[in-house]
Amino acid sequence: MAMTSLEVKKKTFRWALWLGWQLDSNWTEPWLFAIYVLVKPLTSSLLLVCMYFAARQVTPWVPVDFLPYMYIGNACFMLIGSVMFGMSQAVLTDREHYRMLKYIYIAPGHLQTYFVGRAISGAFQAVLGGLINITIGALTFPEVRHALTRQPTEWGWLAVYLVLGTMLLTALGLILTAIVLNMNRQGMFLSEGISGILYLVCGVVFPISILPHWLSWVSVILPPTYWLEGMRRAILGVPAEKFLDSPLSHWGHPALAAALAGTTLGLLILSQFVFRWSERRAWRLGKFEEQSGA
Amino acid sequence: MSSSFGLFFRTIIARAYPRIIGVRRQPSWVIHEAILPLLSVAAYAYIYRAMKAPESYIGFVLLGGAMTAFWLNVLWSMGAQLYWERSSGNLELYIMSPSSMMAVLAGMALGGMLLTMVRASVILLTGILLFQIPFHASSWPLLIGVFLLTLLALYGLGMMFASVFLLFGREAWHWVNLLQEPVYLLTGMNYPLRIFPTLLASCAAVIPLTTGMDAMRQILFADAGFFPLWLNILTLSGLSIFYLFLAWRMLKFLERKAKEEGKITVKWQ
Repeated sequence: MAMTSLEVKKKTFRWALWLGWQLDSNWTEPWLFAIYVLVKPLTSSLLLVCMYFAARQVTPWVPVDFLPYMYIGNACFMLIGSVMFGMSQAVLTDREHYRMLKYIYIAPGHLQTYFVGRAISGAFQAVLGGLINITIGALTFPEVRHALTRQPTEWGWLAVYLVLGTMLLTALGLILTAIVLNMNRQGMFLSEGISGILYLVCGVVFPISILPHWLSWVSVILPPTYWLEGMRRAILGVPAEKFLDSPLSHWGHPALAAALAGTTLGLLILSQFVFRWSERRAWRLGKFEEQSGA
Repeated sequence: MSSSFGLFFRTIIARAYPRIIGVRRQPSWVIHEAILPLLSVAAYAYIYRAMKAPESYIGFVLLGGAMTAFWLNVLWSMGAQLYWERSSGNLELYIMSPSSMMAVLAGMALGGMLLTMVRASVILLTGILLFQIPFHASSWPLLIGVFLLTLLALYGLGMMFASVFLLFGREAWHWVNLLQEPVYLLTGMNYPLRIFPTLLASCAAVIPLTTGMDAMRQILFADAGFFPLWLNILTLSGLSIFYLFLAWRMLKFLERKAKEEGKITVKWQ
């Protein structure tokens, strides 16, 4: 009996999730993989911690709230990097390295769902790494611990931002994946570049008011800025320091969530158009089996 | 004897050639090799600006960003290169050819070094222009000497990685990936080593980036540094000899082992 479209998508998603997990994890022993998942995010956070303490040695007035601000922002950003990078990287590894993309395309599965499954597999690892990272931060640094325990975490809003954020990142990842489908191996650098721009512009590790005026306005119209602000506020509350103020500081949770939901919806619609157009173009131009000798 | 030397040097030039000529044939490299790394460098510089740290700290970030380009080149274009070469079918040709694998690796290092030099210069110059950081070297010849010594030790380490990763399958990719951030952390890429305990800083000194950057900061920013300048230079010289020797020995050993285990032609694993 033929499967319905929804059943095909569910099955594709499940297998893509499993495949992504296997590709990421089965190269080594579980204990080594656990270290691998932990070390990368932890060291990138510790790098910021070291910068904070280096600055405090020479400029003691730096507010203690700046450390948790950076720490939590960086931990949340890992999800952005892993979903966007993971999804577009799947195109490149399947096409250039394993040379399976053309078979995946002609198989009865759903291509878009396949990429989403691969990305969500990476997202689970990023969330796990982020949670362990925050726990270690809270246990090790009194500044982070104090900020986390100063007021109760707003679990409801955190759940809202996590759901909306997953949809936002999926939409962004699909747009990137669609573009990479029509690029050669240089596509790898596109997701890295977008991720770098977002790290700089979206107020991940410093308040956006520090940026040049025109750039801080670019920041305010980017959906990941709302997401990061919302996540940080749900976890840490509103920062007491004026120093950490941004143009979004006076927005409440409902306004932030509404802005995030609206822009995410727009991006989801756009991602469908872009993906379908790119998929057709890639099929017409034979991009599914194009090799660049990488 | 002279012909084997000739072959050695011709191999170096031949392997360096595609890396250098590729720059001219694929100008898009400027975007991903120079502009993209600048984004994260700028983010780190803004963190110090937000904390109103001294301007020399932003200089540390720029120098760290430029030197990181060499570290990434060592990891991805040296360490993991034989893994890529195996996947694309070139490795078996290298092994079969009469030239030495050490010459192939030296050619990769030379080409990578020249290419990365351009990338590092772009990061440094753009950063200086964007953030208006003054660089006043106390001695340019000393700075250039320390820089070249750092590269020698760094690429010696890269050649050693390449031979070790010859035995790896997909692990090579993951190990290279894993070696990025911890090394940024340990080498004090964005901050002075002073915030580390002496034991940790001394352990980190086996990575040439640590000692090289500590020395260059002393020359460029009149920073107190963690180790005395002479000790940094001595350590870098020792590391250069040690890593190059180790690379040569390991390459011999692991090439034979890879042949015995049939890993020279294994692909996509």
